[in-house]
Amino acid sequence: MESAENQTPEPELVAGFSSIRERTIAENSLVILLQGLQGQVTTVDLRDESTARGHVVNVDAFMNIRLKKVLHRDRRGRLTQLEDLFVTGRNVRYVHIPDHMDIMETIQGQLAKSHRVRNFAGGRKEYAKKKS
Amino acid sequence: MVLLKSVPPPTEGVRHEQAETTAIMDGKGLGCGTLYVAETRLSWFDGSGMGFSLEYPSIGLHAISRDLSAYPQEHLYVMVNAKLSDENEAEMAENVHDDDEDASSGGEDDDDDEEGVITEIRFVPSDKAALESMFSAMCECQALHPDPEDDDSDNDFEGEEYDVEEAEAEHGQGDVPTFYTYEEGLSALTQEGQATLERLEGMLAQSVAQQYHMAGVRTDESNAEFEDGMEVDAGTTVAGQFEDADVDHW
Repeated sequence: MESAENQTPEPELVAGFSSIRERTIAENSLVILLQGLQGQVTTVDLRDESTARGHVVNVDAFMNIRLKKVLHRDRRGRLTQLEDLFVTGRNVRYVHIPDHMDIMETIQGQLAKSHRVRNFAGGRKEYAKKKS
Repeated sequence: MVLLKSVPPPTEGVRHEQAETTAIMDGKGLGCGTLYVAETRLSWFDGSGMGFSLEYPSIGLHAISRDLSAYPQEHLYVMVNAKLSDENEAEMAENVHDDDEDASSGGEDDDDDEEGVITEIRFVPSDKAALESMFSAMCECQALHPDPEDDDSDNDFEGEEYDVEEAEAEHGQGDVPTFYTYEEGLSALTQEGQATLERLEGMLAQSVAQQYHMAGVRTDESNAEFEDGMEVDAGTTVAGQFEDADVDHW
C-alpha cells in the first residue's frame, strides 16, 4: 500500500529519490520523464554511438541509467548481452520513449508521486493540491 | 588524470575489495590482482604493487557480462572515456579505434572526450558470484560523482521550499486556495491520505495519553481538524486539562 511510505519523512523511500537535492533537480527537468520509464524496456543511445536495450531499473537525477538484461550493440554493430549495465548521464545521448507510453501522463504521475511525499513528510498542508 | 601508478590502493571509503581479479585493458592482460572500489577512485593493483586508478567521472559505463559467446569469462566491463596506457602515454590515442569512421561525429558536444576515444577494461574475478557486489559498489560510487558540467545542478535545491505561485501556474489551477479549511482539507485527501491521517492521529493520541495533556490537543476524533497535528486551537481547551501538569515545574 502506498500509505506505508508516508510514515517516514525520508524521501528515499518514495519515488526513488535519494536526496532532496535530487528530487528538486529531477522535478525541474525532463529527467522526471525518464524516471517514469522504470520497469519498461527501452533503448538508450550512448554518446559513443553504441546502443543498449534493456529493462530500466533506475534513472537518477543526473541521468545515470541502470539497465538490466541488456543487449548492447557497439559502434561496429557487435552484439553483447549484459546482465546489468550502468551508464553515466554524461554518456547518454538519447533515451527512446516506448511508443505505448503517454509522456504527459508519465510526467504528471511522477510529479504527483513526489508531491505526496512533500505533503505528508512534514511539509505544510498548504501546498497540497487537489488530486484528480 | 586517470593513470596514477604511484598512488597506493585507497584505504578509506572502500566499498568493495575483490582479490584474485584479473584485469584486461583493451584486450591486454595485466595479470591478477585486487580490485578496490573506493568512493574516491577505482583502483586495481597486482601483487607487486603495479596498477592503475580510475577517476569516476572518466568512467562512461560499467556492466556485468555473463555472455560467454562475447567473452569467455563472466566479468565486470568498464568503459573509460579516455585513453589509458599502462606503459608510456606516447603509444596511446589513435591506435585502437582507427576503423572508426564516426569519430568525427562524436566530436561536437563532447567535452574532454577526444572524439570518442575510449578504453575498455575487463575485471575478471575468480569468484564470479562477487560480480553483483562489484557492480553495485561501482554504481554507488559513481553516483557520488555527478557530472559537474551538468547545468541542472545549479538548480535551487532548498528542498521543502516550493514556489507555490509557480506551481499553481504550471498546474493551471490559479484559484486553488493554498490554505485549506478543515472541510476542504479533509475532502482533498485521498482515501490513502485519510487513512494515513487517522493512523498518525492515533499514534499521536497514544503518545499523548501517556503524558500530560498538551494545550489544544485532544485525544478524540476531532483531532482531524488539526491538519498536521501541530496547530493549537485556543477555543477548545478542556477544563482541567492542566491537572496533570507537574506543579513542581513552577
